[in-house]
Amino acid sequence: MSGAAHPLVCRDLSISFGGVKAVQGVSLALPAGKVLALVGPNGAGKTTLFNLVTGNLRADAGEATLDGESLLGLKPWQVARRGVARSFQDLRLFTHMTVRENAMSATERGSWFWQAGDAKARAARVEEALAATGLSDLAESRAVDLAYAERKFLSMARILAAEARIWLLDEPASGLDLSSRQRFAGLLRAANARGITICLIEHNLDVVAELADEIAFLDRGVVLAVGEPQAILRDKALAAIYFGERAA
Amino acid sequence: MTAYLANLATLAAIFGILAATLNVAVGYAGIFSVAHAVFFGLGAYAGAQLALLVVPDALLAMVVAALVAGGLSLCLALPALRVRGEYFVAASLGLQMMATTLFTEAKGLTGGMGGLVGIPRPMILGVEVPTLALALTALVLILLATWLMARGSFGRTLRAIRDAESAAEALGKNINAAKALAVAFACAGAGVAGALFALHMSFVNVESFTLDQSVLIMAMVIVGGTGTLWGPLLGAVLLLSLPAGLSFLPFIPPTEIGAVQQILYGAAMTLLMIFRPAGLLGDMRTGRKA
Ligand SMILES: Nc1ncnc2c1ncn2[C@@H]1O[C@H](COP(=O)(O)OP(=O)(O)OP(=O)(O)O)[C@@H](O)[C@H]1O
Ligand SMILES: [Mg+2]
Repeated sequence: MSGAAHPLVCRDLSISFGGVKAVQGVSLALPAGKVLALVGPNGAGKTTLFNLVTGNLRADAGEATLDGESLLGLKPWQVARRGVARSFQDLRLFTHMTVRENAMSATERGSWFWQAGDAKARAARVEEALAATGLSDLAESRAVDLAYAERKFLSMARILAAEARIWLLDEPASGLDLSSRQRFAGLLRAANARGITICLIEHNLDVVAELADEIAFLDRGVVLAVGEPQAILRDKALAAIYFGERAA
Repeated sequence: MTAYLANLATLAAIFGILAATLNVAVGYAGIFSVAHAVFFGLGAYAGAQLALLVVPDALLAMVVAALVAGGLSLCLALPALRVRGEYFVAASLGLQMMATTLFTEAKGLTGGMGGLVGIPRPMILGVEVPTLALALTALVLILLATWLMARGSFGRTLRAIRDAESAAEALGKNINAAKALAVAFACAGAGVAGALFALHMSFVNVESFTLDQSVLIMAMVIVGGTGTLWGPLLGAVLLLSLPAGLSFLPFIPPTEIGAVQQILYGAAMTLLMIFRPAGLLGDMRTGRKA
């Protein structure tokens, strides 16, 4: 479960907050160039799992590797520079910057006065990201002035412009209408076609059924099942947990 | 009268530099420091001692002051920037209070309460130069540097950190390095202002580098408009001319000017924050509740 077939792998990852075992012994491998959907009820530990991988939280135990090299102990910016991009459930846009500046900033990793790489290529990547997310006409608007769906797409534009190999997306499609969701699906498929590996947290099972190549079902910090979408989505026991009909 | 105006203009330029550089930290990077006067003081003492003990060369004084203030700020900022925003304000407050005491006690370096007196007139290559010309040139250069920085990737990085630090970090930005550089730039600028101040006044003591001064510089930035190029300069000119303007009003007795000034400052700040929360030149759309 590593190497070319599974670039990002977690083994027995665990973390507790006080008494809450938010993630307990999670092992998971993202299939290369595919979409793995992470589903599970509220508080299952999905976002926490992302935070462990990206260095925002320190694991109590376990391991996370990218191409066989450990990610644990790295700072979030170091994980990002290794090619892992993430979005946030609450978006965290650069609110007082324009749409274009938001995307531009995603191409600029240098902390000081200069940026590595060709400025023209970076600018082109920004325009591509804006076009792909349908934001070209809003390029000069400030993020704070955007409508809900536009904000969600701006968060995606930053990911696109960042040029990462792994995308960790935290509920990027929640609350999108049908046509926006189609545009969103197009983004993911195009990314997969370019070899990008995606982990998608998503509550809407229709979206999951449409986009996922594989599903991991997380509940109370534990992976209950991983597998083909059809198998997982038909599982009655999982459905009962998901829709809150769990026996005490 | 010309001398009076030249003095006022020189001070305006010096405080313009202080406000413009503090704005790099506050306005662009969202780092709130109430210790800017510490670095103003460090630059003033460094510039004054250089002029007194070695050579009264204005350029050398400014360079040394910038290095001393910028370098020390870097040493202090690297550990201090690890803490969250609110705590950084508290840390800078602590630094300011400590520094005031140190400036008072380290008599060998600062002259204590008596200060350093008889600082020679500034020269460049052996020719005496008016401090107004020096201060204006430094102000223009610093505003130019700020403008270049703000429109480039570094300015974007700072604004990204201000708006959403964790998202900036998730995009691969080493946020502590960027913040440290912003602080060092701001404090080096304060150091330059300090050297100019020492050479202009030919006397400096701790009273110019207290918490009151730091708060005044912060007020200049906020009144003028944080995160704007010209706002801090406007704030500096306004807040400096207020006492000067008041002293021309015949119906205020000279002994009461201080009190009237405090009341006016307070009232103006309160009204401004209600009606123009982003400052006089700030973006009207920011600062208000959505
Ligand atoms: N930093 C933290 N400190 C304390 N508890 C936390 C922290 N982060 C998460 N938790 C707790 O860990 C558990 C898992 O939270 P997490 O946010 O990962 O859930 P989630 O699966 O993303 O849920 P949702 O679908 O609502 O986003 C919850 O009980 C949450 O309260
Ligand atoms: Mg979550």
